Amino acid sequence: MSLEDVDVDPVTVMYVTQAINGLAYGMLLFLVSSGLTLIFGMMGVLNLAHASFFMLAGYFCYTSLGLVGNFWVALLVAPVAVGILGLFVERFFLRKVAASGLGHMGDLLLTLGISLVIAETVKAFWGTAGLAIPIPPLLEGRVFISNLEYPIYRLVTIALSLMILGIFALILFKTRLGKIVQAAVSDADMVNALGINTPLVFMLVFGIGTWMAGVAGVTSAPILQVYPGLADQIGLDAFVIVVVGGFGSLLGALVASLLLGELNSFGVQFIPRLAPVLMFAFMAVVLAFKPTGFFGERE
Amino acid sequence: MNPKTKQIIISVVSLAVIFLIPQVLGIVKTNICVEFAIGSVYAVSLNLLLSYCGLLSFGHALFYGSGAYATALALRHIPDVSVWSALGLGALGAGVVALICSPLLVRVSGTAFAMLTLAFSQLMFVVCLKYREITGGEDGISGFPIPPLKLPGLGPIELTVPANFYYFAVVVLGICLGLMWFLLKTPFGNVMFGIRDNPTRLEYIGYRLPPSKAIIFIASGVFAGIAGSVFAFFQNVVSTGAALSIMVSFTPIMAILVGGMRTFFGPVLGTAILLLIREFTMKYTERVELVTGLIFIAIVLYMPGGALHLFNLIKMKWFGKAQTAKESSIP
Repeated sequence: MSLEDVDVDPVTVMYVTQAINGLAYGMLLFLVSSGLTLIFGMMGVLNLAHASFFMLAGYFCYTSLGLVGNFWVALLVAPVAVGILGLFVERFFLRKVAASGLGHMGDLLLTLGISLVIAETVKAFWGTAGLAIPIPPLLEGRVFISNLEYPIYRLVTIALSLMILGIFALILFKTRLGKIVQAAVSDADMVNALGINTPLVFMLVFGIGTWMAGVAGVTSAPILQVYPGLADQIGLDAFVIVVVGGFGSLLGALVASLLLGELNSFGVQFIPRLAPVLMFAFMAVVLAFKPTGFFGERE
Repeated sequence: MNPKTKQIIISVVSLAVIFLIPQVLGIVKTNICVEFAIGSVYAVSLNLLLSYCGLLSFGHALFYGSGAYATALALRHIPDVSVWSALGLGALGAGVVALICSPLLVRVSGTAFAMLTLAFSQLMFVVCLKYREITGGEDGISGFPIPPLKLPGLGPIELTVPANFYYFAVVVLGICLGLMWFLLKTPFGNVMFGIRDNPTRLEYIGYRLPPSKAIIFIASGVFAGIAGSVFAFFQNVVSTGAALSIMVSFTPIMAILVGGMRTFFGPVLGTAILLLIREFTMKYTERVELVTGLIFIAIVLYMPGGALHLFNLIKMKWFGKAQTAKESSIP
């Protein structure tokens, strides 16, 4: 008897499929929000333009697909381009606004402005319609396990996110640079006083964070399509994760991402009309009982 | 000329100008002036939070939209509703929404406040988008009847005539501006400055912070609701895109920054500047927000005091009058 003959009850199939969907979306969200929460932890800057970089990577992917025709090249090039843009923004804009005397409100306003400009630039260059990006031919098709089927590409997304996060965790927890970043998250001034060039570390972390958002943007492009409203959609989810997980906490971001991914996926299944509201309700409940979020130490 | 007569002359002239606008300018420009009045009150209501309490809200559209939707629903479903009660319901709707949100919001400040307000406004946005049997979804509510305005001693005034509507909007919104100005001059206004500058000390003196914050929050919400309500009368259409989207929350923030933070009239000036930029750039490009976004970034980076600050600088430099830049400087 081959595997195809085993009959799994359709309800179970639905649950498993939705759970994997939730996991895929959760991992994607973690790719986006890990950079966001690290930047927030180190610099106290909540980068409102973070999701715009995510979206921009999707558009870069579309263009490079048109130029080269190879998804893997796009996966390599687009996030790097976005990361460099991130470095540029940190060096020439964020660092400058720190001197303007607006405090953290200045960061919020500046990144808000940048996100607006990116959204409008994208509309001017690529139009307002959604752009479909084909799944790379190698990863088309579905996996079949008895009557449970699942698209390969989403599984690959999960694997890719896990891989990047693994490397990221290794760097963060096993290297000297990682130690510096961790120390800077808890007390940036002290680290600076110890003779470490914190502005440079900030710039690097900002670049890596936007690069990760870029990777997430490219990998999710074939699933979500690319459209100008993408940044708002993903951005809101990522902000909710950072708030719920606790500002600056990576572990919190991981837990919150996975929870939110599943919440979203099962919400769409059972109460489709209220699914987008669920995550805000979730955030409100968490903040009502623990204003610092799951693992955060500050408000 | 002593300052008193100067003041009287200025107010008489500005009142005359306001009165003459619909007579001199055409319908299109009169309508832009109505937009300006609505935008000013909306921006000043947000400014109560931003400049005077130091609370940056990214979701003020929540109240604007609530006011607009409440008015539109009242006009559609309540037979023979008067203009004033529809307006009042708009203010009430926004106030109730603010009251519901306030227990959570008064406990946080800074970035968490910004994110929570954003979340609440998005919540409302999604709910209005999905429950289309009540709100009409993306298309919104349109074509609701606009009743004639009844005033004691006057016959019914048709608000569908642009000039009449202009006077109605200017009076209502002018009263709102006056009330907000008055609110800042009361002792309670000083509590607001305290919340911005030193909340800990304020608590030591014996003020209770959360209720005070809640009152300001609700007041700000009510005024934004009135602006939204007038907007519903004005457009005769209320849709999620025009009344609740993120852009609706961001516009007053831009107006405040462009005009000048920590001043009362900065947001009014900013609204005017943004409208002028819009009218000017619309002739050349569709991407108006790109231009305003770039200007916004430049202002945040180079001139966080906004246009009023710039005026003061020029005044000081060229006319040599030692202006106390008390209000326009950002400490």
